[in-house]
Amino acid sequence: MISLLSHIISGALTGLLFALIAMGFVIIYRSGRVFNFAQGEVVVVGAFLIWSFAQYLGLPLWLSVVLAFAVSAILGLLVEKLILRPLVGEELFALVMVTIGLLVFLRGAVLVVWGADIYFIPAIFPMAGIKVGPLMLDRGLVYGGGLTILIAVLFSWFFNHTRMGLEMTAVAEDHQIALSLGLKVKRSIAASWAISGVLCTLAAIIFVGGKGMTFMVGDIGLAALPVALLAGLESVGGLILAGLLIGISMGLAEHFLDPVFQGGVGAVFPFVIMIIVLLIRPSGLFGWKTIERI
Amino acid sequence: MTLPAGVYAQTYDQDQALIRSKPQWLWFVGLMIFLFALPLFGGGRALGSMNVMWITLIAVVGLQINVGYAGQVNLGQSAFMGVGAYAAGALTFHFDLPIWITIPAAGISAAVFGSMFGLAAVRIKGFYLALTTIAAQYIFGFAMLKLPKAWFGQIEGLRLDPVSLFGFEFDTDVRIYYLFAAIAVLMIYGAWGIVRSRIGRALVAVRDNDNAADIIGINVFYYKALSFFIGAFYAGVAGALWGYYIRYVLSDQFTLWLSVWYLGMLIVGGMGSIQGAIIGTVVIRLLQEFITYFAPWIITIEMFSGIGGEIIFASMNMLLGGIIILFIIFEPRGLVHRWNIIKESYRIWPFPH
Repeated sequence: MISLLSHIISGALTGLLFALIAMGFVIIYRSGRVFNFAQGEVVVVGAFLIWSFAQYLGLPLWLSVVLAFAVSAILGLLVEKLILRPLVGEELFALVMVTIGLLVFLRGAVLVVWGADIYFIPAIFPMAGIKVGPLMLDRGLVYGGGLTILIAVLFSWFFNHTRMGLEMTAVAEDHQIALSLGLKVKRSIAASWAISGVLCTLAAIIFVGGKGMTFMVGDIGLAALPVALLAGLESVGGLILAGLLIGISMGLAEHFLDPVFQGGVGAVFPFVIMIIVLLIRPSGLFGWKTIERI
Repeated sequence: MTLPAGVYAQTYDQDQALIRSKPQWLWFVGLMIFLFALPLFGGGRALGSMNVMWITLIAVVGLQINVGYAGQVNLGQSAFMGVGAYAAGALTFHFDLPIWITIPAAGISAAVFGSMFGLAAVRIKGFYLALTTIAAQYIFGFAMLKLPKAWFGQIEGLRLDPVSLFGFEFDTDVRIYYLFAAIAVLMIYGAWGIVRSRIGRALVAVRDNDNAADIIGINVFYYKALSFFIGAFYAGVAGALWGYYIRYVLSDQFTLWLSVWYLGMLIVGGMGSIQGAIIGTVVIRLLQEFITYFAPWIITIEMFSGIGGEIIFASMNMLLGGIIILFIIFEPRGLVHRWNIIKESYRIWPFPH
């Protein structure tokens, strides 16, 4: 019973972490109509940046975190400016492939700069686990989960109630119409890339803070895909629900199916859910439905 | 495409022929002789990379039909290849069937696995589809390690003996070279047939606008699934050859990165052209060999000494990622487009156009 409960809770917390990374996908997709496959690598870059500032340069922790946020935002802006800007108006395939190219490139670059060694990222949250009754919870994940919900609510409000957010939503709807209405399409897209970079670094803090990590952490970007798709790629609020759904079902699958398959179900199960959901609802739970015309 | 002056068709057969002028015949025969004679001169290393090249060619040409012609983004080609390798490996390992049964069977089983994801393509479009094919990768890896050990050997994989055909054993690189070359040439010839046929035209129509294709009477459902079937069939055959060449099959050999490399080859070569797939494969494979060859020398440079053996993986990734990005931004039609321009201006020389 306790094992079941701990699977469910840790699953839910992991799901919320996925939701945070998926938020990076969604925010970029909402403005630029680009799906950024390289998200996971940006998480790695964020984590390594914190390490470099704090350990290598010996800066205070708070300053390194702030600097890491700034640099990852600049990285997002650079990617948008150098790679995505020349491709405005290109077909979807080019946009998909260019972010896959970016994923491969960043992975190589991370290896050249930081190598394949294990790095210990300084803990930003206190390390000790939280004890709830008989359960021990990872404090970073608990705080991270709360933070994710808070951020999702904030962005939900931002996109639906502020001028800037509504502009970005309009840009997401259709670039040409938004342009003809005098909205600053380029500014919106650039802003979304910067925000997404910051979110990635935040995810890095929650995920690897106080732990050892290698460049392989980037695979979490792919693991977060099912959450983004289940929510529907346009809904920030829906991410929380999708993250919890995927996380809890992942926990349940680990609890009930792992003994049958000798482990490893947790990594595959979200993808199975994703395929089933996409077959039933191709635009996810909360995605916008578009009508195609010839 | 303009033809050289003086080449015109008088019958439908002439109009449909792949090789239409005397110089083309000359080049073709020359190429065949070159490919036939290559093992006589190439060393062991060159031969090994040629064998991998044949396998890659088959997989990438299949991917070209799937992605370049039908427009269905496919990031699961390497998983489909893995299915083929396991199918061929298991059939050889357990039942000792001859390769003229196992290789087509590997193709078919990969094709069936692939079309399951093709069925998803009917409802799911664009990059959503890319994501479901990533799922294929995860499901393949999981299934192969979890299915009963007696079938696919789980974590130990399948070890194979050299295969033979009618008593002739393919146990050296040279013998394998001729087998692979024959199969690859056959598969590429078949690909040319497919894309010039009714099927190929229908796939292009689906790629350009699937709603419009639906309205003019093309069965979009059928052709999307078919494009995955064909693409995965090629992958399956390539996988079978891979298994017979390495003589060891394990799911770890078929990673998502391999699929990305294949897509990179398509982009460099040019989408929607069989020549493009061939050019891209050859160019990228040569680059890969080049890096593997010079990497030990790079490590000795002071600046990179900390990276050690990872330099190969790292620099290959930077190279591939950089190439993909640069080609998409600056030459989205790929090298084959440049090649066609050169060929065109050669044919109409000395006139500008």
